[in-house]
Amino acid sequence: MQPVINPAGDSTLLISFGETIDEGINERVHAIARAIEKAGFEWLVETVPAYSSLLVIYDPLKVTYTEVEASIKPLLNAEGCTVEGRLVKIPVVYGGKYGPDIEFVAEHNGLTVDDVIEIHSRPVYRVYFLGFLPGFAYLGGMDERIATPRLEKPRLKVPAGSVGIAGKQTGIYPLESPGGWRLIGRTPLRLFNPAKEPPTLLQPGDRVKFVPIDEEEFRELYEKEWGEGVD
Amino acid sequence: MIELLKVPSLLTVQDSGRKGYRKLGVPVSGYMDDYSARIANYLVGNPGDAPLLEFLLAGPTLRFNASAVFAVAGDVDLKLNGLPIEPWESHWAKRGDVLEVGTLRSGLYGYIAFAGGIKCEKLLGSCSTYSRANLGRPLKAGDRLTLGYAILAGKEGRSLHRDLRPDYSGNEREIRVLLGPNLEHFTEEGVGTFISETYTVTPESDRMGYRFDGPAIGHSSLGADIVTEPLVPGAVQVPANGKPIVMMRDAQTTGGYAKIATVISADLHLLAQSRPGTRVRFKAVNVEEAQEILRRCEKTLRAIEEFLAGKMKSYRIRTFGEEKIAFTKVEKGG
Repeated sequence: MQPVINPAGDSTLLISFGETIDEGINERVHAIARAIEKAGFEWLVETVPAYSSLLVIYDPLKVTYTEVEASIKPLLNAEGCTVEGRLVKIPVVYGGKYGPDIEFVAEHNGLTVDDVIEIHSRPVYRVYFLGFLPGFAYLGGMDERIATPRLEKPRLKVPAGSVGIAGKQTGIYPLESPGGWRLIGRTPLRLFNPAKEPPTLLQPGDRVKFVPIDEEEFRELYEKEWGEGVD
Repeated sequence: MIELLKVPSLLTVQDSGRKGYRKLGVPVSGYMDDYSARIANYLVGNPGDAPLLEFLLAGPTLRFNASAVFAVAGDVDLKLNGLPIEPWESHWAKRGDVLEVGTLRSGLYGYIAFAGGIKCEKLLGSCSTYSRANLGRPLKAGDRLTLGYAILAGKEGRSLHRDLRPDYSGNEREIRVLLGPNLEHFTEEGVGTFISETYTVTPESDRMGYRFDGPAIGHSSLGADIVTEPLVPGAVQVPANGKPIVMMRDAQTTGGYAKIATVISADLHLLAQSRPGTRVRFKAVNVEEAQEILRRCEKTLRAIEEFLAGKMKSYRIRTFGEEKIAFTKVEKGG
């Protein structure tokens, strides 16, 4: 499938494979991003991948749109180089005050809380891309049996590390923020730490496995990770 | 070192922003008005992207605990030790001097630059504040800031000609945009509405995005939502209610609303300085025009930098009955 190329402003070029969420297409997006970054164009500022699109940000004082388009066209068939993602295990304490909506998720889907934990922690999820907030991973592969609509009224404060479900998606809040996802648990791991390089725990192409832990283990890991006790 | 005595509004350290981390979900941030911020830096002999202070509407009161050269960009009253001084000029402050920055008469963001810049810990390659992710925090009274080293002699007394100062007064303006990239999500009529009607900046606007009120823009049968796609500052998202939102410097890196257009880079500072209530008309240009406008804008800023550094002289010219400022190189020994 050949992507469509368009300007998205005077300093960016958008490569789009249409509005699809597909692992193969997402791998191609990342392969093209890598090919563009490796090519060493002196006008390249950065690339931003999403599900089925890639934004190329360039310096319009160094190059014109037409020149960028011409330089990028030969790289669009970059394929076959599968993203070498790591398997990242994410410990999660499910339910209780850490996952206040888990009963709702269970009831909504006619399941028990234990079923929800089992179904949520069984798959290996793929990180399609990061966006929305620093370190927020768009994960693919959640079992539709636990799909649940968002809250009607978003919470004003969701703690960092909260694991949630929104429709057919699951994700982890990297930072404290407002949010409308159904919270089912919390990880003690720090998903965004500006003092580290790279600053995010997850990278596009990584695979994620949630591992259920108990509250005691959560507290220990939390203190190790954040250097302070959990409130 | 300077000490902040009063901080009446949002006051942050900003530079040209974060580059290379958008793929990790980190917004670019940086100064909202690159034009004013760069001139403020040039006035004190800094590179354009040196870290400086950005204030929203009302400026701070601060004390110098050592000699410094500073300049303020903005349509604002200033007092140094109680005596009025001019914005858009660089001034010498000595130990103990107190600078009071008033409230902007026009525009939204003002800048205070110091020779040598503000010393700060670079987080992910930038000093720009993005407090949501603990990348710096808004400044408060009592905070002390260390200035970078600079030879101060010759940096004071630089002044930007009145005609070269950006004019952010008036409550109507034209903002140029590039249509797309999600035009298939809008009806032809909807696109027509966007570029022919007038939109008003609402008070629900901040460093993340400016919201507009005006005639609703019609979506096509594809609807307002798209599969999440990357975003840049300037992108014009239109959610289901048909009212446009322009993403600004602290915008998230990806978004799920269809984008009807992107504000051209050269006009983004003008939009950033538009107060709630400002009436905006969006005018479509093509990518070649947008890039030509940006190159011309950059040329002007470079000329201003050289002029302020004493490498250029300004003179007046009259073309098509319009008086303009032009620059010429200063001849050696001349």
